[in-house]
Amino acid sequence: MLAEHSEPSASSAPAAKAAPVVVRNLTKTFLDESRGTIHAVDGVSFECREGEVFGLLGANGAGKTTTLRMLSTIISPTSGSAQLLGHDIVKDPAGVRRSLGFYSASTALYPRLTARETIEFFARINQYPEDKVKARVEALIARFGISKYADVRVEKLSSGMKQKVSIARTVAHNPFILIFDEPTVGLDVLNAIEVQEAIHELRNDGRTIIFSTHIMSEAEKLCDRIAIIHNGRILACDTLEGLRATTGQHYLEDIFVQYVKSPV
Amino acid sequence: MNWSALKLLFVHEMRMLLRSRRTIITSVVLPLIMMPVMIMGSRFAQQQQASRIDQTTFEYAVTGPWSDEARRLIKRYKDAPEFKTLRIHEQTSVDPESALAGGKLHFYIRTTSIEDADKYIAGNEPVSGSQAALRPVGVPALQIVFRGNQEVARSGAERMLDMMRAARRNESYMIMLQRGFPSHPEGILAMTAENVATQSQVSGSTLGRFFTVVLVMWMVAAGSIAAMDIIAGEKERGTLETIITTAVGRNEIVTAKQLAICSVALVITFIQVLNALLYVKLRLISIPQSFVIDLSMTHFAQLLVLFIPLAAALSAALLIISAYAKTYKEAQLHFLPLYLGSLVPALAAVLPGLRSRSIVAFIPLANVSVAAREVLMGRPDPLMIFVTFVVMSLTAAALIRYSATLLAREDIVVSSQTDQALLAGGESLFQRRVFQWFAVMWAVMFAIAANIPQLQTMRAQLIFNELGVFLVGSLLMVRQYRLDLREVLGIRRLRWPIWAAVLMAVPAAQVVALAFFRLVSTVIPTPDDLLREFARQMTQTSLPLWQMYLLMAVLPAVCEELAFRGLLLHGIRNRFHPVVRCLLVGMVFGIFHYTLFRIAPTALLGVIITAIAMMTGSVLPGMLFHLANNSLSIWLESSGNTMNRLDGSAYLTAFAVFGLAMHMIWRYGKESKERG
Repeated sequence: MLAEHSEPSASSAPAAKAAPVVVRNLTKTFLDESRGTIHAVDGVSFECREGEVFGLLGANGAGKTTTLRMLSTIISPTSGSAQLLGHDIVKDPAGVRRSLGFYSASTALYPRLTARETIEFFARINQYPEDKVKARVEALIARFGISKYADVRVEKLSSGMKQKVSIARTVAHNPFILIFDEPTVGLDVLNAIEVQEAIHELRNDGRTIIFSTHIMSEAEKLCDRIAIIHNGRILACDTLEGLRATTGQHYLEDIFVQYVKSPV
Repeated sequence: MNWSALKLLFVHEMRMLLRSRRTIITSVVLPLIMMPVMIMGSRFAQQQQASRIDQTTFEYAVTGPWSDEARRLIKRYKDAPEFKTLRIHEQTSVDPESALAGGKLHFYIRTTSIEDADKYIAGNEPVSGSQAALRPVGVPALQIVFRGNQEVARSGAERMLDMMRAARRNESYMIMLQRGFPSHPEGILAMTAENVATQSQVSGSTLGRFFTVVLVMWMVAAGSIAAMDIIAGEKERGTLETIITTAVGRNEIVTAKQLAICSVALVITFIQVLNALLYVKLRLISIPQSFVIDLSMTHFAQLLVLFIPLAAALSAALLIISAYAKTYKEAQLHFLPLYLGSLVPALAAVLPGLRSRSIVAFIPLANVSVAAREVLMGRPDPLMIFVTFVVMSLTAAALIRYSATLLAREDIVVSSQTDQALLAGGESLFQRRVFQWFAVMWAVMFAIAANIPQLQTMRAQLIFNELGVFLVGSLLMVRQYRLDLREVLGIRRLRWPIWAAVLMAVPAAQVVALAFFRLVSTVIPTPDDLLREFARQMTQTSLPLWQMYLLMAVLPAVCEELAFRGLLLHGIRNRFHPVVRCLLVGMVFGIFHYTLFRIAPTALLGVIITAIAMMTGSVLPGMLFHLANNSLSIWLESSGNTMNRLDGSAYLTAFAVFGLAMHMIWRYGKESKERG
């Protein structure tokens, strides 16, 4: 069990049936001394529904990470808005962060903490109810099969074990929304499958998941809806079937190439 | 502020630091081991050296018309109890100078006849006033010639000199006896000195001079190790992005990190103090018997009031520097300027006559240095301690606030955004690195120049600084970042009124700078000795006038302008408000000019030249200004003219002329820039 619907959680489930994630005209402009103005994200809009895996599919530099960093309040948008469970990313960043778990290739673990300490620390810092922290930690340790290594420092764990601890710390406070930014980058096939299974299970638990990738097969396998992003703009957003119907292509790779080469 | 989150983060940071082997070894274990090793090593070396000196038979020679008299004195006094251990052997040498250079002699005694000695005094050491009355004339001279860079030889020469002085004292006593004066020379007048200060006050005064410097060194060294791990290390490991996506606010994150650095700095400094006290107790560090520090609880509390906000301010500064660094190694490089820069105000207590009840109370760190000395001397000023506490607390608060804003900056927390400039290199990278270059140049100037004996003369220092530091440093920057030198220097045709206005501004600016210097002197009183020494160095007769013009006017005008108004100003042209840019370049220029007293007037000169460079868009008028200004100063010093007797109307006229000249430079400079 990754999610605990029956127990009070640090994050609250959406009160109404409004989409948990609403993004409107989100823009991010960087000013680089050598390259001038860069529109990393250029008017992106989408909604994520409850219990779905929403995929952001794009090549490197398309604007996926910048979009997700804005949603997780690491960076602020130049213009536009986004709400996560009704919390505005600019006006209520703390509320946003309480509601989500953020995982990316660049969110590393503290090497000098043990696996158990890591999960416990992230549950506490994300304001999971204090009296339930211990039980939550033990549940996650059991779920991810890391009992044998729970008291070993992270720096001594294998990359596969680190991956498991990393996902466990992301869901430690039982967030309603989860953001996975290219989670399988640099992983071997077995570890990548572990991550995909964890995401699948979280979706089945009713979590809302935003998932970015440049790997077509992953998007095909995991995403309920896919947004194709290129040069900071969303070119298409639909289910895989919908995209197939619109483009007349079967494979996602062909669909992607068609949109990118001749934007609709 | 979420206090429970803050507590959780603080405990987390401390746990991470305590589990870091690198942090524990470099901040606690190494200093604990290094200090006794260094002390014992130094003691062993001293003992070895002393025994070598005791076992050495010093080879010497005697020359000149009074050689026999010198030999007689040596023979008579070398068996005296205090010189019995001195082993000497006279060599017969026709050319003792060559023998000394060749290492065959440790020293030689050169005697001079009465006439030659008097001529030498008259020709080489023109003395005046009371010193002239004390200098004996009409007597032969005896000079011990040695090579000061050979420690054994120097020791032998000094002991021979002591023997000769004892001989002189005794001989003159004997002569007085023979001539019917049965009184001992020192029996003419009983002279004693009575020190009404307690031993504790005297010791406190001595300790107080360096107390703050030492504590600041320890605090910065210890705090920097923690700060490196706490932000730069987190960035390198990728955990910074992890923590800022949690529900906790950035204020809590920064405050916890700040508290961790401050705690580490204070705890390790405390350990170092205990460490030092232990070595004193174990007699590994020997201190004079008369050295007594009697610190009451009140005084101890006052020191805490002074040093806790100082530790907080230093920790915040370290946090800021660490935040700017992308990696652990980069942070190590960035901490050096802070380390060196913090020592300058910390040395304020060394300045004679500086009291906390002055404007110093408002200069962070310098105020702690002076107030701490007063506490250690047993003369604390409670009001000024309170003012110092408020100033330091406000400084710490401002720095902490700034460090909190840094974690909200995207270029700080998301390092990937800055990588483009690193990849592209060239101009954009130069703009980010320009301050680092000047920090390194500053460190080179002070660290290397102060430690190389060959650079101790003014001539060598000037050549090294101008050519070795400013010129070479500038050319390296141009080469490394592929800069267009023509663009850096702003080489363009300028209208003639600009050149005329520059020449007009120079004498007026000297008077303006003098007024400024006098104003600064009321705040930081300049010791007379220092002014005399500086004037002596400036006008030393051994430097021919043409060399003074070349080394102090031409070279600085070219090399310093290339560095400061060329590279530095070019490097920050897209950053800061123009006024801030102008003040910043002026300030950096001032910091490169050695003493605390010269910083303010030189910084003013720097601001003026920077303003000229910015108004004209070219470095060339600034070069002319710098050349003319320094030449005028040399001429005034060498010709004995001074501007000390200027009255109010002269100052007013100078200000008016200066204002008019600057207006002309601005007006015609604008035209020149518009014409391109």
